Amino acid sequence: MQLDFTARELTIKLVYYGPALSGKTTNLQALHAASAPEATGRLMTLETRDDRTLFFDLLPLTFGSDKGLSVRLKVFTVPGQVIHASTRRLVLQGADGVVFVADSREAETEHNAESFRDLRENLKQNGLNTKQLPLVLQFNKRDLPSVRTEAELTEMAAQGKEPVYLAVATKGQGVVDTFVGLLHLTWQTLDLRHAFTEKFGLESSAFFADVLNKLNDRRTLPEVLNSRVGGRSARKEMSL
Amino acid sequence: MKSERPARSLNELTLDSKFNIKELISQESFDVLLRSLNELFAVPLRVFSTDGGLFSEVGPASQLQVYLGTLPGARRVVRETVEQVKSAAPEGDRDVRLIGETSERYAVIALNYDGRPLGRAVVGPYLLPSDGMPPQSLAKCDPLVSTERLEKVWAELSRCDDASITRLVRHLRSMLGLILFSGHRALLASNMHIASVQESFRELSEKSATLQTAYERLKELDRLKSNFLATVSHELRTPLTSIIGYSEMLVAGIAGDINDEQRDFIGTIHDKGEQLLELIKGLLDLTKLESGTLNLHKLDTPILPILKDIVHTLTPTARNKGVILSATGDAGLPTLWGDAARLRQVFLNLTENAIKFTPSGGHVTLSAQIAHVELPTDEEGPAIVLRGVKRPMIEVRVADTGIGIPESERARVFDAFYQVDSSSTREQGGTGLGLSIVKRLVDAHDGTVDIGENDPRGAVFVVRIPCKRLSFFG
Repeated sequence: MQLDFTARELTIKLVYYGPALSGKTTNLQALHAASAPEATGRLMTLETRDDRTLFFDLLPLTFGSDKGLSVRLKVFTVPGQVIHASTRRLVLQGADGVVFVADSREAETEHNAESFRDLRENLKQNGLNTKQLPLVLQFNKRDLPSVRTEAELTEMAAQGKEPVYLAVATKGQGVVDTFVGLLHLTWQTLDLRHAFTEKFGLESSAFFADVLNKLNDRRTLPEVLNSRVGGRSARKEMSL
Repeated sequence: MKSERPARSLNELTLDSKFNIKELISQESFDVLLRSLNELFAVPLRVFSTDGGLFSEVGPASQLQVYLGTLPGARRVVRETVEQVKSAAPEGDRDVRLIGETSERYAVIALNYDGRPLGRAVVGPYLLPSDGMPPQSLAKCDPLVSTERLEKVWAELSRCDDASITRLVRHLRSMLGLILFSGHRALLASNMHIASVQESFRELSEKSATLQTAYERLKELDRLKSNFLATVSHELRTPLTSIIGYSEMLVAGIAGDINDEQRDFIGTIHDKGEQLLELIKGLLDLTKLESGTLNLHKLDTPILPILKDIVHTLTPTARNKGVILSATGDAGLPTLWGDAARLRQVFLNLTENAIKFTPSGGHVTLSAQIAHVELPTDEEGPAIVLRGVKRPMIEVRVADTGIGIPESERARVFDAFYQVDSSSTREQGGTGLGLSIVKRLVDAHDGTVDIGENDPRGAVFVVRIPCKRLSFFG
């Protein structure tokens, strides 16, 4: 996070993490497609010849009015392939919040777990940990056959503290929910630490209304946040 | 080695985004862009970076301004026009259109990337096609203005309608956006490459430092072990010398008469003391050989006197066991390059061993001959081609007719403390140090020791020591 008092600008870094081919880039593409042109820049993809992410995807989004605080969001993905370990660590540097995109298919369960261990290790190397860092989970590819059942995921998610979202990124389903879910969690965590809403006289509800508006989502923030499954501690902070 | 951070970190590049236009685009490629726009729209274009410096320009200077600049009273008009353009403050995507004091038109555009100012583009000066004749105010700004001249330069000014200017601005913006994006992407990619390499380097350096530390520690432990063994052996030897010395004096009757039984007991003390001393000496030798601190005094040494001396020394032992001990060798054998005392130790050890494992009535034979040994072809060294292919060596065979050594055990008998029969009830005594010392001493002589079978029974130890030092290796 970077807070520029003179320019009244807040920059937040969000990272999409997860195993290879779980749909992180697709999430960003769907987010890019959903957002209003004035709020978003070009989606930048640094990719290899085989079209896999080599370094990261970067999606710049800008929210907030000119009068108050303008909030710039930099949304990154990391390459899931094992060979890009050092790159994953670099992109994770200074992350304010992380979406972990998991593949819902039964057969991918071990890859998901492996990638999450990798996330924890890389956060540790960057002086962060999964307990402090705002984290939401997304179970992607819900439309594929032989996925873990929703009942099973809901039951297991209820035991964890992280909000869990179900998504079909290729169809844009659950993409905004996951993103807003993480942004909300990150916003609360950062505001608690830096009190920027107080310093800049910014209304969180107004900010999130602007975010949803620019993402062309007609729902209210509570409606979006309620689309998640699980996440015990977040439920308490539901109302803004 | 400390790994350095890249010139600009990933976070600086993606979060701060305070770009300099020169970092993202080269001036040459920018000139190309402006030239093609100028070709299409025929109006002058200039681009300034955020610090106000001129970055790129295309199109001729305004001849109107050049002419007015030559007139003292009209210069003010030109200066004010420049000021007007400078102070125009376009915001976001809206360009500013203005008419200067010279009555020329300008469009001023803010250049942004990722919501940050990068500089300004100035289109103009130009006139609308409908701007017919120069205004009266211009003709009157200086008494020296020539109407004819004024009309001429006025007519030569670029003309463009508002809709075209709007199109020009739109094209400039979209093309510039694309170029800046590509530039930014390339900048990020190259920085990521550097950062990834540095990160991998850092990781490897850390691992290799850990390994280095572990290696140093092991080396230190090994050194400590050798030191410990050397110290302990030395400390053990001192009191043992007294035990042996005093038992000798007792047997000699220096402390008074003793009876036979006492003599027998003291003799046992003496013998066991000697045995213990040999063991300690062996340990000392082994540690010295292992730590590389044993000094060899190598000279051209004849082998036969050594073998004969050993036969002489061990004949009583052999005779006690009923073993026949002999040494053979050609008197014309060349000398070998070695330490006589240590070589004696080698063959004494091997012969003692042979006698120990040979039953009564058997033979132990020491024989020496010359052998020309082929050098291993994979041996490395300077100018190997200059050296002879075969190397003369003295080969000493210690053959016995004892129990022999099974093939599977042959490689291991040279390990310290190894015994083929390691059961507690084994027939033969011994410390298991002798052969490991033999092996190390032979190695120190640049030689080899192998075990073969004796026909029809028993073992042969074949030791080969070079006749001359290898001058190639110093």
